[in-house]
Amino acid sequence: MDALVSQLETPRSQQELYNSEEEQEQLALSLSPSLKFALPPIAQSQAWLRAMTDDYSNPNCPIKIAHGTTTLAFRFQGGIIVCTDSRATAGNWIASQTVKKVIEINSSLLGTMAGGAADCQYWLAYLGMQCRLHELRSKRRITVAAASKILANLVYSYKGMGLSMGTMCAGVTPQEGPALYYIDSDGTRLAGNLFCVGSGQTFAYGVLDAEYRYDLTDEEALELGRRSILAAMHRDAYSGGFINLYHVKESGWVKHGFNDMNPIFWKTKLGKGEFSNVTADLN
Amino acid sequence: MADRYSFSLTTFSPTGKLVQIEYALNAVNQGVTALGIKATNGIVLATEKKSSSPLIDASSSSKISLITPNIGMVYSGMGPDYRVLVDKARKVTHTNYKRIYNEYPPTRILVQDVARVMQEATQSGGVRPYGVSLLIAGWDDGIEPETKAGEDAEPEAEKLAVKSGKTGGILKGGPSLYQVDPSGSYFPWKATAIGKSATSAKTFLEKRYTEGLELEDAIHIALLTLKETIEGEMNGETVEIGIVGPPEDKLLGYEGVEGAVGPRFRVLSSQEVEDYLTNL
Amino acid sequence: MSSPFSINGGAAVAMVGKDCVAIACDLRLGLQSLTVSNNYPKIFPYGDVYLGLTGLATDISTVSDLLRYKVNMYRLREERAISPQTLANLVSSSLYERRFGPYFVSPVIAGLNHKDGKPFICGFDSIGCIDFAKDFIVSGTASDQLFGMCEGLWEPDLGPDELFETISQALLSAVDRDALSGWGAHVYIIEKDKVTKRLLKGRQD
Repeated sequence: MDALVSQLETPRSQQELYNSEEEQEQLALSLSPSLKFALPPIAQSQAWLRAMTDDYSNPNCPIKIAHGTTTLAFRFQGGIIVCTDSRATAGNWIASQTVKKVIEINSSLLGTMAGGAADCQYWLAYLGMQCRLHELRSKRRITVAAASKILANLVYSYKGMGLSMGTMCAGVTPQEGPALYYIDSDGTRLAGNLFCVGSGQTFAYGVLDAEYRYDLTDEEALELGRRSILAAMHRDAYSGGFINLYHVKESGWVKHGFNDMNPIFWKTKLGKGEFSNVTADLN
Repeated sequence: MADRYSFSLTTFSPTGKLVQIEYALNAVNQGVTALGIKATNGIVLATEKKSSSPLIDASSSSKISLITPNIGMVYSGMGPDYRVLVDKARKVTHTNYKRIYNEYPPTRILVQDVARVMQEATQSGGVRPYGVSLLIAGWDDGIEPETKAGEDAEPEAEKLAVKSGKTGGILKGGPSLYQVDPSGSYFPWKATAIGKSATSAKTFLEKRYTEGLELEDAIHIALLTLKETIEGEMNGETVEIGIVGPPEDKLLGYEGVEGAVGPRFRVLSSQEVEDYLTNL
Repeated sequence: MSSPFSINGGAAVAMVGKDCVAIACDLRLGLQSLTVSNNYPKIFPYGDVYLGLTGLATDISTVSDLLRYKVNMYRLREERAISPQTLANLVSSSLYERRFGPYFVSPVIAGLNHKDGKPFICGFDSIGCIDFAKDFIVSGTASDQLFGMCEGLWEPDLGPDELFETISQALLSAVDRDALSGWGAHVYIIEKDKVTKRLLKGRQD
């Protein structure tokens, strides 16, 4: 079995993922202690992991990984808005309504979680570590581009082994200004102005696309983020709980609360006359 | 003329009659008299059990039949036709009701089902009407008439009755007695008779019947009426009596089951009949 | 996940109180994760007996309509309203008629007996096995959660107001832990000569 593990592990660090040899060496050193994962002691470990954990390809998979989310982030004149719901589900079971899906990587970098909760939590924490190491090594803050690429390359190296994550990295750096990247476990890495990720993404896109402009004021942008997540929480069974709202500015990110959606929903409905599909009377 | 409309199938005559049905009624009117009397707390069915020979073992033949634990039936007319109807009535009780609702049908529902069977024989090809009239007696659960009419009736039951008995109908429980004819028509009676001496028996019953009759009085009147019409000797072997009375938990054949209620209908033994006759 | 019982989502519960019964359902109609309607009640009256149906929405309509037909025919034939016990047996035999191609529903019945006014509740599996219960009956995608809530909150001889409080808390808390039900609820409290229907505003996520 040891032979199998080393056989599966060694090629990973030798894969030419990084551009400079120096970077590669640094990473190889820093990666080695944390990345020793026990693999299933069978010949086709990748296929096996997929069969056991991927409930998309196999709805009866025995290892249920928490899924279901709505997260969004968009760039605008005043920086970046990052907003998420807080629900974690395992099948139809609501495992938690108070999940923190925004990960504060450092004072100016945020990551969002969608997909496997454990995968996101572990790898974004790992990304935070790498970002800090980069900072210490190079004596300057890592760019969002570089940070997102560390994550993208990392998940790519595990492609096919059942990792499940759709994340966004948002941050403002002197080099880039406000920058927003989308990374998922397939290895996709995209830069863009506006992303919604998760089972409720379509509902969030519906509101966001209709109202989005780059020259939104800070207040308008925060309200739009909140309203888009609210729409997704309402219509998507697997999203809900609390609205987690962040504003990333040049000076770093600012948290704008972790608020229960229900009072906000009724205020929106009764105050503004929206959500008229919801009835408040008998018959 | 009549011959032209006496085919094996039932066909209207120009005067609007179905002669086959009239012939069936003739068969009934030649049959042994049977009668029924409804009391406040039960019903009695009675008939003469004629035997063509003293060698017949009367104790092992019976003309009054149980259909459900609370409903019994007697006939006048053709014995074989009656047996077919008893079979069909017992079967229809289950297929049309007990298998659906897990309870036995109320008397009127059973009467309608049996009447349908008899009506179908007047409108189908290749069959003849049944040559019998039936008396069907049964007890239904529900609000009993006296409870409903009584002044100190439970107000709760009263309210419920008003609420759920939409057409004023048969939340009403208690005894009921029906006659079904070969045409498939049926009538509810307080007391009636069918068969050979039906007319004279009914005249007798009209004189003897009173409102608020008890079951024991009804049995007494039934025997008196039968006595008027009977041709041979009256004893436990020649008279048959069926009663719908209080639940007989002894007849369940088991005990100790909570909520189990015994059958209300039973045929009296020849000894019981004999006892009633000696007190006549 | 693609079980016919959990495509549309929904929950129902019935409870016995002192001289009263309660039945309640959520209002969601969904297609997997997508919530299509927030006003889809799953309780149907048959005279003064109430039937809750959860499961596949198309079968909920079919079964409720079929039983409406059967109960109306019963009332015309027998000139009386159907009793809860009789309705229970009618539901059971109607479901078993489809033993080899069942309706994907889990019915729940609540009512007061016509003769003695005794509370009656029962539940069924999709092919008609009756579950007579003295305390409560649950059904739907939140049934596990409802079992937990009812075991915790229910007690014997609750009056109509306490029973309303209990069944409402049980249902709302249960559906808040189920992704496929919720979005408001209907509660019926059935008493001797009064039926009270109330709308509960639930969480809208």
